Amino acid sequence: MKLKRIGVVAAVVAAGALALSGCSAGSGDTSEIVKGTSITVAQNQGLSSVNSNSANGNTTYNGNITYMTNSWFYYYDNTPKIVFNKAFGTETLVKKSPQTVKYTINSGVKWSDGQPVTAADLLLNYESGLTKYNDPKGANFTAAAFGLGIDGSKVSISKDGQSLTVVYKDPYVDYQLALSTTMLPAHVVYKLAFPGTTTKAASGDLIKAFTSDNSASIKKIAKVWSSAFDLTATPSDKSLILSDGPYKIASIEKNASISLVPNTTYNWGPKPKIAKFTFRVIADPTAQVQALQNGEVSVIYGQADADTTAALKALSGVTTVTSPSATYEHVDLTFNNGGPFDPATYGGDATKALEVRQAFLKLIPRQDIVDKLVHPIAPNLKLDDSNVFLPGQDGYDASAAANGSADYAKVDLAGAKALLAKAGNPTVNVKFMYGKSNTRRAQEFALIQASEAQAGINVIDAGNDDWGSLLGNKSYDAVLFAFQSTSLGVTAFQAIFGTGGGSNYNGYSNKTVDADFAKLSGDFDAADQRKLLADVDKHAWEDAADATIFQFPDVNGWSSKIQNVSDNPLSPAIFWNYFNWTVKK
Amino acid sequence: MLTFLTRRIVVSVLVLLAASFLVYMLAANSGDPLSALRTSTSPNKAAELHQRSLQLHLNIPAPVRYFYWLWGVIQGIGGHLDLGTSVTGQPVTSMLSSAVGVTVQLLTASFILAIIFGVLIGITSALRQYSGYDYSVTFLAFLFFSLPSFFVAVILKAYVGIAFNNFLQDPTIATWLLIGLPLLSGLIWQGILGGDARKRLLTFAIAAVVTFGVLFYISATHWLNNPSLGLPVILVLGLGLGLLVVVLTTGIENRKSLYTAVVVVAIGALAYFGFDAISRSLNVWSVLGLGVVAIGVGVLVGYLFAGPDRWLSARTGGITALLVGGLIVVDRFMQDWQLYATQVVSGRPIATVGAATPNLSDVTHSFWIQGLDSFTHLLLPTLSLMLISLAGYSRYSRANLLDVLNQDYIRTARAKGLNERTVIMRHAFRNALIPLTTVIAFDIGALVGGAIITETVFAWSGMGVLFNNALQQTDVNALMGYFIVTGVIIVIFNIVADLLYSVLDPRIRVAV
Repeated sequence: MKLKRIGVVAAVVAAGALALSGCSAGSGDTSEIVKGTSITVAQNQGLSSVNSNSANGNTTYNGNITYMTNSWFYYYDNTPKIVFNKAFGTETLVKKSPQTVKYTINSGVKWSDGQPVTAADLLLNYESGLTKYNDPKGANFTAAAFGLGIDGSKVSISKDGQSLTVVYKDPYVDYQLALSTTMLPAHVVYKLAFPGTTTKAASGDLIKAFTSDNSASIKKIAKVWSSAFDLTATPSDKSLILSDGPYKIASIEKNASISLVPNTTYNWGPKPKIAKFTFRVIADPTAQVQALQNGEVSVIYGQADADTTAALKALSGVTTVTSPSATYEHVDLTFNNGGPFDPATYGGDATKALEVRQAFLKLIPRQDIVDKLVHPIAPNLKLDDSNVFLPGQDGYDASAAANGSADYAKVDLAGAKALLAKAGNPTVNVKFMYGKSNTRRAQEFALIQASEAQAGINVIDAGNDDWGSLLGNKSYDAVLFAFQSTSLGVTAFQAIFGTGGGSNYNGYSNKTVDADFAKLSGDFDAADQRKLLADVDKHAWEDAADATIFQFPDVNGWSSKIQNVSDNPLSPAIFWNYFNWTVKK
Repeated sequence: MLTFLTRRIVVSVLVLLAASFLVYMLAANSGDPLSALRTSTSPNKAAELHQRSLQLHLNIPAPVRYFYWLWGVIQGIGGHLDLGTSVTGQPVTSMLSSAVGVTVQLLTASFILAIIFGVLIGITSALRQYSGYDYSVTFLAFLFFSLPSFFVAVILKAYVGIAFNNFLQDPTIATWLLIGLPLLSGLIWQGILGGDARKRLLTFAIAAVVTFGVLFYISATHWLNNPSLGLPVILVLGLGLGLLVVVLTTGIENRKSLYTAVVVVAIGALAYFGFDAISRSLNVWSVLGLGVVAIGVGVLVGYLFAGPDRWLSARTGGITALLVGGLIVVDRFMQDWQLYATQVVSGRPIATVGAATPNLSDVTHSFWIQGLDSFTHLLLPTLSLMLISLAGYSRYSRANLLDVLNQDYIRTARAKGLNERTVIMRHAFRNALIPLTTVIAFDIGALVGGAIITETVFAWSGMGVLFNNALQQTDVNALMGYFIVTGVIIVIFNIVADLLYSVLDPRIRVAV
């Protein structure tokens, strides 16, 4: 009996020990890399920089590589939903007012040269985003992510050197996204700026340079940060390609290929399984498909077009999936150009203008466009019914059901005619802009034009290949183009729907929406945020400001031997879970 | 001469200047380099737009920007050439240097092969004018000439690339091919060689039987998976090639020349074993060096045999030695084929994209394996470029030869009793090549401009791809870099072509 009990205790202890050893992301022997496995990915462009936070380096293609060679506080899964990586570090909201956030990197997290990842790295990342250090005449990091509203904050570094505490000047609800996760090693940056500094002293000196606001030093640091990491071939100085993530760069062949091998010191986060990743530069989609067929690459991804999708689906031994991306097509109506949608045209009668806008939107054949132009490529895509949520994202379903988009789901000729009659049957001439050489947009335009004509709305072809630079210049009444979401940050949409926002091209202004954004900028509760955004969504539809239509389809094909691949609408697309990819023998 | 050169150069510089201004204006107004940023939903978009336009100097009007750019070019005279940076911040000079390298690597082989085969086809079809062979060759040349290159590339990849790789899994030639190909080969050979019905029939039979034998051997022994020539084949082929050289250059009646060829082939056969032993330690330069040595030996043998004109024999020896050496090198490459196909590219040797297998240097530094890798990657793009440009050269040389053959001096040569070989090889062929040199000089200039479609489809990032990307991203500096390189080279080769013409054809003198 006694013996038995001891046995039980021993078993429990042993099990506990096992569980512990499983948890403590320990030494290298917990690696799950399968020897001899390799995956080759085709991508449109080569590597131009390993600093994907600089304006020059901020491309999808660099981002895919740095996503694999860095650790992150968070990533987006394919829902899309944010997932935090607590094994790497934490972002804690210490206090709401003044907003104080503590960004901590776990001890034991190291760069591939053995140096620890510390708050100095976080600090460098933080400082690079300040407006005062993106000054063409002074220190100029030329960061892609400056001007985000973190200016004027105060920072301090904890005693152990692992935490950076930021006291934000203005509430910053997207604080979790503030410190981008692909950091550069501060000690390397400093040593390049000041050759002769010892590795030991470098991080400390860098911190000193920033705390004392030493502009001469910062200027040098900024120069290194913004240009020294622009690489197109394997550098002779290997410190330029350090990694704190699952993989590290083994070699870069200019405009041809990039090879990644496992970073053996890495054990803070998801464990990758593949022993070698190779990225090959192949710009032509047909060439990508044929290379996949010939076994030269095993994964291809990109925007879907009819030919590529059809060619991919015809291949055997290849899994082909079409999926929605975060780029969404929509029609914007201009409020402030004296055109048919501007109240000024009707002597300031806002109701009349609203009725005309609603009538116009009611006749946009949204479902028809999806059926005829998107489904032949990607039959699984659906109408995009929300201005502020991506389909799949938490909040989309509720918002889409309640925002009134249902009124515009199908062409409603009777409804449109009734609205026009109410408005006194004005002559409606709509100058409609779109990318003229873009075949799909031209077809969308044709469908819209024909549909609007049924109610006597005259849609004038103002197609223009320079539409991008003409946005917001009031020369058109309606425009068809796509916005590209890059994150799930909640403040992004203020630029589009807030009065005077940077992407508010149509002069939309609604006091309730502005008030919602004001509240949103100080509200840290996710449920509240969703409610406020849903309210913005609802007003945008009620005011008939614009109509979302569909998300651009992506098409991805991979050798059926590779498992666990799935697409993510947000960057880095299919690579989001590369650490789960496995290869069947 | 000097005045001519100076005048040409001054005019060319002025033309380049005017053209560069025009191209700069066109490029700067051709699109919006910030278009990608405009549709972003990022909250800091305004700041980004401002930053980018400062970086690209978009705040300065284009005509003024041009002079900034020009100043960078002018500084090049002092050795500080600055062509600016691309929209992604890369210095244009470094982009150009790597792109030119890639393009030259891609186009050289196809360029040379197109000239060789183009001239061969042109000459043979001119000699058999209005025959079935002439018509079929003309038809095919025009067919390939008129096919769009992306189409040729995709077809080649599908059949010569992917389908051939599939075929290698079990390289047994299908029966219909085993019967069809010999018949086709017989038809082609009797067409080329011509003659009366009896001679044609004989040619047909011999060609068909030989082809059948070769194909059957290849199929039965799975030769394609483990190819080799071996000493006997090298001997037979070497003797054949030597005989051909003799027939074409000196005529079989020049016995000393014939003996030279035979002896050179014999020496080659001996060298085969020695070469095999040292081959593992060779690199590209030592192989080329050995080639020069081989030519030297051939020349020496010919020189010693002397004959009516010792330098004629020496030439025969040199050419034969080079060809036999080539056979030995090919055989050496073949020995590593199986290793390459199975270990490096997992059984699918013919590549459809890129210039090399990624990370090959991690696996091996062997010159032979790397050479094979270059071959498998160059095969399809070279074929596609060659098929398309073949037509031009074959038509040029055919027309030129016909033109020359109708000249009075050819009639005179025949009248004084020269044999047909001498008339054609010495009097007609050489003169027929003169107009071709100018075409080739122009084409070298165009070569550096790259082949936009072929490079894109085969994923070689050369000049064509650089140009295409620059145009699509409104990358003015990169585009101007492309322009300056291609522009200068075209101008230079135009001058060279003019000078060459006057050197080769004594009837033409450069106007002073």
